[in-house]
Amino acid sequence: MTVQATEAPIDLAFPTSCPVLTRPIQTAVIGLGRSGITHAAVLSTIPECKVVAVADGRRDARRNLAGLGCKAPGFETVKRLLSKTKPEAVIVSGPPDERVRDARLALEAGAAVMVDGPLGRTLEEGRELERLAQSKGVPLAAAHPIAYHPVFAATQPLISSRALGKLHQVRSSMYLSRVFSVRQKSEACPPNAGGGVLAQAASDLLFLLIWYLGIPTQVRATSNSVYGSPEDELHGMMAMAGGGEMGFDSSWSVPGYPRPATVIECDGAAGKLLASDDALELDLFARRGGAGITRFGHATLPRPGRFDLDGEALYLQDSAFLAWVTGGPAPPNRAEAAIQVTRVIEALYASAKDGGKPAAVPA
Amino acid sequence: MSHVGAAPRLMLSVRSLNGVSLATRDRILEITARYHERESLAVTLSKAVDAGVDGVLASPTPALRAAMAELSRPVPIYAVIPTLSENGRHELVPGIEEVLARSRREAGAMTRLKLRVEGLVRPAMLYRGDLVTRFPLLAEAEASRVSSRALRGLVLDAWLTDLALATGHRRFFESYCRYVRRRFRVAAGFETHNLGLMLARLREWGVKPDLVVGPVNPWGLLMKPSLTEVLDELARTEVPVLAKELRAGGVSALAEGAQFARAARAHGLAPDLTEMDDPGAELRGLKQAA
Repeated sequence: MTVQATEAPIDLAFPTSCPVLTRPIQTAVIGLGRSGITHAAVLSTIPECKVVAVADGRRDARRNLAGLGCKAPGFETVKRLLSKTKPEAVIVSGPPDERVRDARLALEAGAAVMVDGPLGRTLEEGRELERLAQSKGVPLAAAHPIAYHPVFAATQPLISSRALGKLHQVRSSMYLSRVFSVRQKSEACPPNAGGGVLAQAASDLLFLLIWYLGIPTQVRATSNSVYGSPEDELHGMMAMAGGGEMGFDSSWSVPGYPRPATVIECDGAAGKLLASDDALELDLFARRGGAGITRFGHATLPRPGRFDLDGEALYLQDSAFLAWVTGGPAPPNRAEAAIQVTRVIEALYASAKDGGKPAAVPA
Repeated sequence: MSHVGAAPRLMLSVRSLNGVSLATRDRILEITARYHERESLAVTLSKAVDAGVDGVLASPTPALRAAMAELSRPVPIYAVIPTLSENGRHELVPGIEEVLARSRREAGAMTRLKLRVEGLVRPAMLYRGDLVTRFPLLAEAEASRVSSRALRGLVLDAWLTDLALATGHRRFFESYCRYVRRRFRVAAGFETHNLGLMLARLREWGVKPDLVVGPVNPWGLLMKPSLTEVLDELARTEVPVLAKELRAGGVSALAEGAQFARAARAHGLAPDLTEMDDPGAELRGLKQAA
C-alpha cells in the first residue's frame, strides 16, 4: 500500500529555508549559452544581488541577452570584464573547454567562482582550480543544481540519518532523449568537452550518489558510443567504502525522456527508498504496521525558492553560492565536494577504456 | 473583427501535451498516449466546448491543428506561443532568435513571404536579439498556425515570459500587449510560473494584459515567490488571472483546487488534461459550480 505523505505525515526534518544574502553583492556571468542566460536571469531576481557584467566572445550572444532586458554591460573577453568591473562573484558557464581558463582568470582576480559542473574536464584541471581558490582565499563551487531539487535535497538528510539501516544495494539512472544523430551529438558534446553523456549530462547524478553515500573505492564501467566518440551510454558499478555496490546507468540516446529523468533506489536493512524527479517514496520496515510506503510528492516537500525558471533548483543553488560568499554556510556543491565527482568520472572512464576492468578511484 | 472581449472564466488546458505540467512523468506519458490520435483529442475539444468552456489553452502544434480539422465546429483557441516541444524547451538558447528561426522554418510559404516583408523593417542586422523589435515576427509566424476565426488570444509561454520578468523588461510587456491587440485583435495574455512577482510588476508598471495564467492551488505549489505573497497580489490585482495546476500535481481534488482558486479571487480556471479523467463531465461540473 502506498500512502500519500499528506495523509500519513511522518516526522522527517527536511531543509526548508531559502539561502539569504547578508549584504549586497556584485556578480558577473561568463558564457552566454543556454546555461549562462538562465543564470543571468535568475541572478537578477535574487535580493541583494546585482549582475554588473556579462562576457561572451560572440556578439550575437551578448545581444541576445541584452535583448531580453538584461542591463548589465557585455564584454567580449573575460580579461576586459575583470579589468573594467570588479565582480565579487562570477558564474562561469562557457563551453567545457573554456571554463577552466575563464574560472582561473576570475579566481586570479580575487572573485569567488561557481563553474558549471563537473569541476574541470580532468582531475588535474579541477585540482588546479581548487588550489588556486585556496591560495586566493576565495570560495569555489561547481554547479550541480540537482542537489537543490526538492526531492533530491530531501533525500540527503534522510540517507545521512541512517534511517534505512545498512545499505545492501543502490541503483541509479539518468536517461535523456537528446542525441539521435551525429549532428545532435556535436551540439551536446562539442570538441574537447572532456567526455560524453557522463561528463555532460550525468555528472549531477554522480554528485548526488557521492553526496548521499560517500566516494566509492573502486569502479567498473562499460560504455557505448552510438554516434561516434565519446560515449553515449555508460554503465558503471561502484564499490561503496562500507560494503555494498552502487549501480549507475546513463544514456542520452533513449527515446521517451524529453526532459532528464533521474532515479535513485536504495535497499537497506531497515527500509527502502526511491527518489525520482516526481517524488520520494519511503518504506521504513519498522513503520509498516501503519503506513507502508509513504510518498512525498512535490506538494508535500519544502520548495523555498522564490523564483522558478524551469524549476527552482537553479535559484536555490545560485542563492546558496552567493550566501556563502557573503559569509553564510558553505553549500553542498563547494569545490571540495565537487572534486570528488571529477575523481569518480576519471575512474569510470579509465575502467571503460580498459574494457570494464576494475579501476581504483584516484586520490 | 475584434475578439478581445471579457477574459475567459473557464478554459481547457492541453499544455501537458507539450510537457508543461506538474503531473508525474507516468501521468504525462499516459495522457500523451491517450491523445496521440487526433480523433481522441478532437472528441475532447468538442466535449469541452459542449461543457461551456470559453476557450482552449494550447500551443498551435500540428496535433492540435489536426484535431481541430476533424471538427466541423469552431473551437476558440488561446494560443500559447512560441510553440515549444519539451525537447525545445530544454535545448533552445533562451531568447528570441533561435525560436524565431525555428518558427520561420516551420511556417507556410505565405507566412514566410510575410515575414520577409515584415523583416525588412526589423532586420536582424540591426535588431538581432531585441525581444521588443523582433517579437512581432515570431507572433506573425505563430499566429498563422491558427485560423483567425478560432483565435481568441495569444498567450506568451512561461519559457519566455519568466525570462523577461526576471530581467524586469517593462518595455517588452507593454509593447507585447499593444501589438497583440492592435495586430491580431485578440486578447493579449501571459503564462507565468512566478505569479506573485508577475502581478506585482504589472501593477508597478501599469501594464494590464487581458489575462495571466499561473499556478494557484491549496498547497501553494509553484506559487512564487510564496503562497502568501501570491494571495496578497491576487487580492490586489486588476488583471484577470486564470488559475492552473489546481490539483498541485495530483494531491488535491479538482473541485477543492477550483474552490481554493475562486476564494483566492482568481478570475477563472484553466484545468489541464492531466488533472481530469473525464474532461467533459468535470468541466461541466466546474462550469455549474461557478
